[in-house]
Amino acid sequence: MVNLYAKRYYFFILSALIILSGVVMYLVEGFKLDIEFEGGTIIEMRANDKMFTEANTQDLQTKIADFVTNTINKPAKVQKSTSYDVNGTNTKSFDIITISIGSENTLSNTELTKVEEAVVKEFKLNAKDAVVSEESVEPFIGKEIMNNGLKAVVIAFVLIILYVWYRFKAMSGLSAGVFAVVGVLHDLLIMLSVYVIFQIPLNESFIAAILTVVGYSMNDTVIIYDRIRENNRLLRKVPLPELVNSSIIQTLNRSINTVVTSLIAITTVYIFSRVNGINSMEQFSFPLIIGISAGCYSSIFIASPLYVMWKESQKKKKISGKPAKA
Amino acid sequence: MRGSNAVKFFSILLIIGILTWIAAYGSILGFEIPGVKDIRTGIDIQGGVDARLYAVTKDNSKAKAEDLDAARITIGKRLDSKNIFDRVITVDKDKGYILVQIPHKKGEAFDPQKSIEEIGKTALLTFQEVDESKKDANGNYLPTNKIILEGGDVKDATPEVDGENGGYCVSLKLSSEGGKKFSEATGRLIGKPIAIFMDNDLISAPNVQTQITGTSARITLGGTASDEQREEAKNLAGLIKSGSLPFKLEARQVNNISPTLGSNALNVSINAFIVALILICFFMIFYYRLPGLIASIALILHTVMELLALSWTHIIVTLPGIAGLILTIGMAVDANVIIFERIKDELKNGKTLHAAIDVGFKRAFSAVLDSNVTTLISAIVLWKFGTGPIQSFAYTLGIGVVLSFITAVTASRIMLKSIQDIEVAKHHWLYGVSMRGGKANG
Repeated sequence: MVNLYAKRYYFFILSALIILSGVVMYLVEGFKLDIEFEGGTIIEMRANDKMFTEANTQDLQTKIADFVTNTINKPAKVQKSTSYDVNGTNTKSFDIITISIGSENTLSNTELTKVEEAVVKEFKLNAKDAVVSEESVEPFIGKEIMNNGLKAVVIAFVLIILYVWYRFKAMSGLSAGVFAVVGVLHDLLIMLSVYVIFQIPLNESFIAAILTVVGYSMNDTVIIYDRIRENNRLLRKVPLPELVNSSIIQTLNRSINTVVTSLIAITTVYIFSRVNGINSMEQFSFPLIIGISAGCYSSIFIASPLYVMWKESQKKKKISGKPAKA
Repeated sequence: MRGSNAVKFFSILLIIGILTWIAAYGSILGFEIPGVKDIRTGIDIQGGVDARLYAVTKDNSKAKAEDLDAARITIGKRLDSKNIFDRVITVDKDKGYILVQIPHKKGEAFDPQKSIEEIGKTALLTFQEVDESKKDANGNYLPTNKIILEGGDVKDATPEVDGENGGYCVSLKLSSEGGKKFSEATGRLIGKPIAIFMDNDLISAPNVQTQITGTSARITLGGTASDEQREEAKNLAGLIKSGSLPFKLEARQVNNISPTLGSNALNVSINAFIVALILICFFMIFYYRLPGLIASIALILHTVMELLALSWTHIIVTLPGIAGLILTIGMAVDANVIIFERIKDELKNGKTLHAAIDVGFKRAFSAVLDSNVTTLISAIVLWKFGTGPIQSFAYTLGIGVVLSFITAVTASRIMLKSIQDIEVAKHHWLYGVSMRGGKANG
């Protein structure tokens, strides 16, 4: 039987490395906020076919940006991207011009119209379906939405921890509860690292993804601890590291398969949205893939070994404590 | 298969069949029951505009709840007159804004920004004299521009119970200037109607009964008090107040999505949904064989029930909502995985099939419950704190988790137990355990 417990430090190091890179990225770049949280304006417009060529993309982007800046007297950035029309089996690609304006210069409704009309006229876009999407949020409203979301994360986290604590305390003692919670915290940190490392903009989807992972994270921990408890009754003489190790191995199939089915679902969403250029879904599903995997990983490789280490150190204390008393 | 078992098994299949039929066709045996077609989609799918209109007062004080409500009624009336009936208008009283969502309609030239700007404007409210000969096709008076009162002359309008005539009335408070003008006009127009217009739409044309002096007046609706009448009085009061609201509405958050973008996203996510469902069924059947097949049937029940739950509760489904729907089909079989692995363990330990299935469902229950409760906590908190699109995700996630108890636990158990006595279904191979037995390791 593979001894996972003996190799525990490799797993600890792997997690630590991911979280550390997250911390470094945070110090260097910080979190990227979506306009939903930060405020600002983003307008997406449909470019004409063959308007952009390999050669002129850079120039045209600058040209449009300058034009918008002159029109409303506020600095604008322009980025070209590709999107798809999906209609049955026919998929047609088209270019999208994304005009973004920083939060300190959020456009009013009137300015939005002005920019769009001017760009349509100047660059001869098809007026009928030029505007693909537009979003404009004033910074203080963004802040309000973000604070609301963070409040939700904190509340859900506290509730889940209370529940886990309560359930595991009853089942396997206080220390099991503590380490189950450590597992959840680990998954939360991995999620945050993913967002900061890949610079995925934080918006309400981020709140939803975090809460889903935190909620789902308990899945495998429950399975493993359940088996540890049962084996504890059956195999009283087996030392704890070995007992936990065999409990993990015995339940490995189900720990992995529960996660695999969820991963099949969310990875399908990721692949479909990535291939078809549906940004919002792509940015929502990618962190979920990592977070759900992390939940499985932490139950097997983090929460359970830590629990054993703690129990062992307690035992040593008791043993070494006895002669001193005698 | 014994008789009662066969009945159980086939009634579950029948239920799945009926529910699938309803979901697909929206009716059964002539009864109209909402199906998939009746699911309401959010503006990120349908396209449309979503705006928060903040009430900005002159002195930055908080807008009063009843004034916000009056503004909501006004916006509704304006959208009515543009024939935009499919919309959501909600008031957030604490934060002082009105959320307006207008989905795109096919074949409609609709300029979201302009409409947002127009509906947020202060209404032009007038009380005008009536010219009996000037009526539109519906018999409503047309504006004569012989103006008696303007919005600013009306200080307040509130719905009240009419103590004298029964029913409800709208009580008006006029400014002293307005009182004088009204007194003069009502003296002159006894027995004739006065028309009240918002913008250019007639909202009411009460008859003058007596001359009204002073600064209060009353528009009686007559008839008996009923909920509809109270609603009517409230609407009328709100509309009359629209001309004198102490704030202007400013769009501070606008989100506009073209219908093409939305329908692309919808097509893609429907494809993703179907592919994910098929892959998960394949995985379950490949890995767990006969129980896997049962789990797949239960998963179809899960999917259909979740779609119907969305349709029947009129919840608005957004893209994150669909992501939640897809995610929960992956999560729904988790319970099956835990249970079937347990059954395998028990079979390997030499238990009979009957005993193994019983123990499997019983022993796995607490693990299934715990992992679902935590997900449910997340879903509920998200529902409470999230806004539109994310609420939809919270809803699909929460419903999915609750339904998985019905399908993955209950329906799977009934089906599995009802076929356990069939000779063919007794082969341990069908449960993923080799016939030679062996040590438990999975």
